Amino acid sequence: MSQWLEQVIDNAQDVSDFLSPVRQASLSELKAQGWPGKRTESWRFTPLSSLTQREAVSAASVGEATVPVIENLDVIDFVFVDGQLVTPFADVDLPDGLRISKLNHVSGDDEEAVKALFGRIKPQHHTFGLINDALATQGVFIDVAKNATIQPVIRICNLATQAVDAHTRVLVRIGEGASISVMEHGEGNANSLTTAFAEYSIADSAYLEHYRFALFTDKAKQVGGSHFRLGDHARLNSTVVGYGSELSRLDMDIIHAGEFADAKMNAIYLLAENELFDLHTNIEHAVPNCTSEENARGIIGDGARAVFNGRIHIHRDAQKTLAEMNNKNLLLSRRALINTKPELEIYADDVKCAHGATVAEIDDTALYYLLSRGISRSKALVILNFGFIQELVNEIPKEVIGAWLLPKLSARFSQMEVK
Amino acid sequence: MLKISNLHASVEDKVIIKGLNLEIKPGEVHAIMGPNGAGKSTLGYVLSGRDGYEVTDGEIRFNDKDLIDMEVEERAREGLFLAFQYPVEIPGVSNMEFMKESVNAMREQRGEEPLTAAAFLKKAKEACKQVQLPLDFLKRGVNEGFSGGEKKRNEIMQMILLEPSLCILDESDSGLDVDALQVVAEGVNSQRDGKRSFIVVTHYQRLLDYIKPDFVHILADGKIVKSGDASLALEVEKSGYAFLGQAYEEAEA
Repeated sequence: MSQWLEQVIDNAQDVSDFLSPVRQASLSELKAQGWPGKRTESWRFTPLSSLTQREAVSAASVGEATVPVIENLDVIDFVFVDGQLVTPFADVDLPDGLRISKLNHVSGDDEEAVKALFGRIKPQHHTFGLINDALATQGVFIDVAKNATIQPVIRICNLATQAVDAHTRVLVRIGEGASISVMEHGEGNANSLTTAFAEYSIADSAYLEHYRFALFTDKAKQVGGSHFRLGDHARLNSTVVGYGSELSRLDMDIIHAGEFADAKMNAIYLLAENELFDLHTNIEHAVPNCTSEENARGIIGDGARAVFNGRIHIHRDAQKTLAEMNNKNLLLSRRALINTKPELEIYADDVKCAHGATVAEIDDTALYYLLSRGISRSKALVILNFGFIQELVNEIPKEVIGAWLLPKLSARFSQMEVK
Repeated sequence: MLKISNLHASVEDKVIIKGLNLEIKPGEVHAIMGPNGAGKSTLGYVLSGRDGYEVTDGEIRFNDKDLIDMEVEERAREGLFLAFQYPVEIPGVSNMEFMKESVNAMREQRGEEPLTAAAFLKKAKEACKQVQLPLDFLKRGVNEGFSGGEKKRNEIMQMILLEPSLCILDESDSGLDVDALQVVAEGVNSQRDGKRSFIVVTHYQRLLDYIKPDFVHILADGKIVKSGDASLALEVEKSGYAFLGQAYEEAEA
């Protein structure tokens, strides 16, 4: 057990609210599971050494932070800085059919709804999810009424500015036939640790457009997850973008709980210098007739490391499942590393599934072709790399988000040109 | 324009070019013919600066500058263009995006403003029509799923758009039927303006019926062994490379 985890467990004793029973249960589970080490399969390639000697302290006061602007995006922001919500709730004007409350200020009627979500969708095996269960008093509960169509994107920002720990939680209940876009957007480069977990209940025939941007860099550590449960005919379209830092890890779980549900997830990661990014995804096909498609593509430069573990689990009763997953990687340098593991576990006999992973290096012939047409080496590398991931950027449902992301990724590419 | 003196070049330590001399003046068309393995394609790659093609001796002057010291992209910007025998497929990068970057790199070299998307599209459409490729080829991935003939025409389209001063055509006729051959040749001929020079590397005299060369050189075993006017190509067509000696007759057979 690490010093940091011992302090976390100590700190958790002080948390007391209407969620205490769940928090205590998670804390017991955490103690039972212990600190993940090299022999823990899900942490094999992602060392937690940067946390062992860390002090588990939260922010005494909130730092100065600039909220990243996505031009032309219709958005309602809820901003957490160093783990504290800084958006004045009274100022936020919400459209009809949408209610949002602070996790530490839930009205009596909503307590039951929150209890039905908190720790109920996120699987119990995520160590940092359990830590978040125990410590996250900051967060929001988003409630979308039946059949409501919410236009603006609801964005939850986690900005890290200090050498402290931040634990935030997002709980989303999307009513039958409703639709909404939610973005979880994290940034920072301080010697911080952010655990940000979100749980989404997508009711029958509802639609969630989801974004998870984990853009922490340098010493800003983040371990988080987004977890979805889909009802009958529910749909999910999720886009994940990850940069790497000293420690950056995302766990995404999609649970098909109702028939004819459809999930699509595209993930992009761009890693430079000595950064680490670890993406674990798990799709549970528990019932028949559901579909899922997952594309994860990454570019890894310098001495950076990426980990991809994508699992699709098709239960015995999940007949007529259509599931596809692929992971493509491009290594820009000899020192860059990817550990990729696509996993398909099938217990039903009438399903259509495919999975695969590729690792490529820069195609010298293609590069030469571009150079021979007068295009500079740096531009040629960007063009070839963009071809590789631009397809995923182009699939982002909202064009303004793609238009914001593309130059950002391009700027990051140019840092990565090691040749 | 181009002056190659005593060029020696090797690929993976194998010596391919063994003392080649060639001078090309503005506006001239030089055909290079020769048996398989003579070094014809190697010459194109060496001139364009491809990695792994190492010059071990000799000199190449281009517009009175030392070509060997230049990077691949600098050579292109200086006005050297190689139409590839086997153009590479690059899925995911649109032909349009690729050519726009390329054209704008040339414009930047000349100190001109980059073309707007609309201005470029207009030029690209014209060039596309000129080589008789359907317009949707601009939107497709670079050479992705193109037939052999379509790839060759795509090369000529790039040549038209980039307006180079020296064009090297590496077997631009191989694998083409007569119609496609004419399209390629017309594309090339439309770019002959008395200043632009061409090196036409070919196996067959056929292409030279359409693109009239000023000079024909026979390349064998890494050297130019014979030079003449267009009639030399006809002679080769009729009697093969017999005059080179026994070894080459067998290689051609």
